[in-house]
Amino acid sequence: MRQDYAQFTSRNAEIIAIGPDGPNAFRRYWQENDLPFIGCPDLRSRVADQYDQEFNLLKMGRMPALFVIDLEGKVRYQHYGHSMQDIPPNASVLSVLEQLQTKKGG
Amino acid sequence: MATRLPIGASAPNFELTDTHGRIVRLSDFYGKKFIVLVLLRGFI
Repeated sequence: MRQDYAQFTSRNAEIIAIGPDGPNAFRRYWQENDLPFIGCPDLRSRVADQYDQEFNLLKMGRMPALFVIDLEGKVRYQHYGHSMQDIPPNASVLSVLEQLQTKKGG
Repeated sequence: MATRLPIGASAPNFELTDTHGRIVRLSDFYGKKFIVLVLLRGFI
């Protein structure tokens, strides 16, 4: 997502990534990978619970999930991963954003 | 099946501290920016 970040910002979108790791691990990861978007540790998985992020079969971790939220704070796109690597391609998310823009402008 | 947030539902607001120590509130973006919210599985 780092490479395509400009494409998201040019569509008036901000990326917020939230995960279960601790603040130090998060900061280190963000620094090492030079990530331009917002990263927030959610140590007690409070936000993950609110968004119904699903556990994997062994309950050892969670599946990734992705949401697009519009200007009114409504969910316009949701993807709940079926495996640990199951994240929608950037192109799909960008096209969702594009549709939302045209809807608003038209 | 687990419950899932439906399309059109209000996204639950949250307040977290980011990697730069800034407070991030979902509600601060209302009316300004679309949000792509990614829930990670963890780095390990």
